[in-house]
Amino acid sequence: MLRILKAGLQSTLQGAPRIGHRHLGIPYAGPADPLSMALANRLVGNTDEATCVEITFGGFEAELETDCSVAITGAVGHLSVSGAERAPHSTWHLRKGDKIKVDPPHVGARTYLAIRLGFKADELFGSRSTYLPAAFGGYEGRALQAGDVLASNGAAMVSETLQTPDKLRPTFTHAFALRTCLSSESELLAPESHAALFGETFTAGRQATRMGVSLEGHPLSVASDGTMKSAPVFPGTIQCPPSGTPIVLLSDAQTTGGYPRIASIARCDRHLLGQIRPGDQVTLLHRTHEAALIEFAEKQAMLDKWLLRDG
Amino acid sequence: MPADLTPVRIADDVIEFQVETSRQAQTLARELRSAEMAEDVVAGLDRVAIRFAPARATQVEAWLAGIRSISVEDKIDLPVVEIPVQYGGAFGPDLASICAAMDLSEDAFIALHAEAEHLVEMIGFTPGFSYISGLPDTFEIPRLGTPRPRVPAGSIGISAAFTGIYALAGPGGWPLIGRTQETLFDPDAAESFLLHPGQRVKFKAV
Repeated sequence: MLRILKAGLQSTLQGAPRIGHRHLGIPYAGPADPLSMALANRLVGNTDEATCVEITFGGFEAELETDCSVAITGAVGHLSVSGAERAPHSTWHLRKGDKIKVDPPHVGARTYLAIRLGFKADELFGSRSTYLPAAFGGYEGRALQAGDVLASNGAAMVSETLQTPDKLRPTFTHAFALRTCLSSESELLAPESHAALFGETFTAGRQATRMGVSLEGHPLSVASDGTMKSAPVFPGTIQCPPSGTPIVLLSDAQTTGGYPRIASIARCDRHLLGQIRPGDQVTLLHRTHEAALIEFAEKQAMLDKWLLRDG
Repeated sequence: MPADLTPVRIADDVIEFQVETSRQAQTLARELRSAEMAEDVVAGLDRVAIRFAPARATQVEAWLAGIRSISVEDKIDLPVVEIPVQYGGAFGPDLASICAAMDLSEDAFIALHAEAEHLVEMIGFTPGFSYISGLPDTFEIPRLGTPRPRVPAGSIGISAAFTGIYALAGPGGWPLIGRTQETLFDPDAAESFLLHPGQRVKFKAV
């Protein structure tokens, strides 16, 4: 029902993460920016984890083969439908033949396109999200290509026209301040490296993928003899390999790793990781574990008044 | 068995225990997983991490603070799995360089690898990837300087003294010694993966 005309750099189907299977080596996958995806779903009356298209750096065009309500959120540059400019964060009631065009955003990295009832996708281990490294979930386990036709779960028009409330709209810039907690091997950081981790401004590396983003510019020294045994890691974990350049893990994070885990991005700010572009500035704000959970609860309470939760 | 288990916070929503052996880690992880209190319970080689829903933080903290020791280790009685391997050549492009660095002939390396009884210590990193012990502890085979973007399913690699099997195709940083044609992953089977922690493995050169 949605024919892909241009897929851009990397577009995949993402929905709920694959929770509960990390002991089998199965990463979560799911949207790199779950908040933006939840907001897109809300505008077409879906619960927060219905399957959407995640578009990386725009360059995406698609044609509707059915009348359907659509919404776009996340990083946005110029958006248009059949040549006419459209605004993000609102419900679009579109007709068969309408062409949706998502130009590259100037800030942020990933855009979410939701349709009423979500897209059909391959389900594996309880989730429909694409996990590209092992080629499963989503659309044949791969990134979308021109010519693919995405099926819906019964796409239709919704009667309401909604707009995301202003105070819930994330705004992205080229600078990210992320709340961060200490982790298992934080004490291996030399004192000046500990100070640098929370005091300096890092630059996101050229490899900003769904697996991880490197934080460059201030190499850290970690007192590791390289014999650490493979230990669990999660999205949000900051690992520090011997090079001293920390790596923050995202949605496609491997399940275990052998590098010291020097910190972890707090759950309340992990959704922002998916919007970091190479070259963006990143600062880490130290929070205790308790404070970070309180701030998560505050953010959730605000979102719960708007989002439709699944279960 | 460790004298006592101490829960350590490693993220706002993750608590971890350190143990001594991978067998203890697997036993503790299974026990904690069966309580269905957590989003995920993941064993490393000597750690067990528990990620929880923030709304349950207080409940989970109290639960884990009450875990003082590991119950009697599971008796794992899985059959020995025989894995036929095509060693070297295009299937194991790094076998020659590994052998050269160790001053071993390929035949001697293959004999050593195929004669030992191995044990699956852990599943992790990527889907179904098995960390298997059984080579002499003195082996210190380094990982590749640059990981391969994609290695085929069934690829068998070596890192330090571990053998690793890639259940699915994916990126891989372990030098490869061979490949098996066995089906290691079947999404439609009740048990999707052929290998499990605690399983004994024999490799057979074919």
